[in-house]
Amino acid sequence: MMINFAILVVPLVAGILVGYALRKRWHANLNKATLAIVMVLIFSLGFSIGSNDDVLSSLPRVGWNALFIASLAIVFSIALVELARKKVKLA
Amino acid sequence: MIKYILAALIIGVTAGYLVSYSGNADAGSWAVDYLFNGSLLVLLFAMGLSFGLEKEAMHKLRQTGLRILVVPFAVVLGSILGGLVGGLILRLDLSASMAVTAGYGWYTLDGPMVGQVFGAEWGAMGFAVNFIRELLTIVTITLMVKIGKYAPIASGGATTMDTTLPVIVRYCGPDALITAFSSGFTLSLLAPFSIIAVSTLGRALLSLMPL
Repeated sequence: MMINFAILVVPLVAGILVGYALRKRWHANLNKATLAIVMVLIFSLGFSIGSNDDVLSSLPRVGWNALFIASLAIVFSIALVELARKKVKLA
Repeated sequence: MIKYILAALIIGVTAGYLVSYSGNADAGSWAVDYLFNGSLLVLLFAMGLSFGLEKEAMHKLRQTGLRILVVPFAVVLGSILGGLVGGLILRLDLSASMAVTAGYGWYTLDGPMVGQVFGAEWGAMGFAVNFIRELLTIVTITLMVKIGKYAPIASGGATTMDTTLPVIVRYCGPDALITAFSSGFTLSLLAPFSIIAVSTLGRALLSLMPL
């Protein structure tokens, strides 16, 4: 599903270029327009988790340890990113 | 907003479970693959568009430049450190617990790769840890933005270039788009290499230590 992730650069850069070209003539707030599509994306993310037997069967076996390790990875990542961000003065 | 997202997530998980339980998994996942990729392409274009339309966002990006890359590299260190500390506390195989967190949330990559090196039990751990990371990022995003603007990006790891990106942009603001996407992209590139590096190097180093 995500193997060819590099191709995702194409629609993003295309969007930025079109937006940049139109920036003086067009003002738009796409937040509301894209909300429905965000729902579709999150639904299909949930669907692929729910229909993945490997994922669901892993939970009762390793659930609490996995939650613990995932939380540690998140906490340390946030701490180091905030630290690095201050070091290089990232806005 | 977050209520709708959580509702869509729960309905999706339930639907996925029911469809695969009723034996139509192939047809279901085929259709959902199209839904996922289609909606992602449209969203990326739309997010790029709003970014390009904003004068300040482009200006900010130019000011930041390559310093933006400190974010994914801090996530690499933080994730592997998290795996190390977790393995120490739970008394697990340390190179395996680091390989599990070196997937940065990419569960369809980490589960199979870790499973191949460390066996099925660790493969299950690779799946669980990484999809829990993805879920926690979405579920707790309203709390995370209070910690810091970059906290959801750090938490999302490799998923911030696709699944968690629209949620992050909504809560962190439009100028988080490039930070989140480039961080997720870099981490997706690094994930396979760091899983291999941590499992092989970790094993070699640990065998040298008289523990």
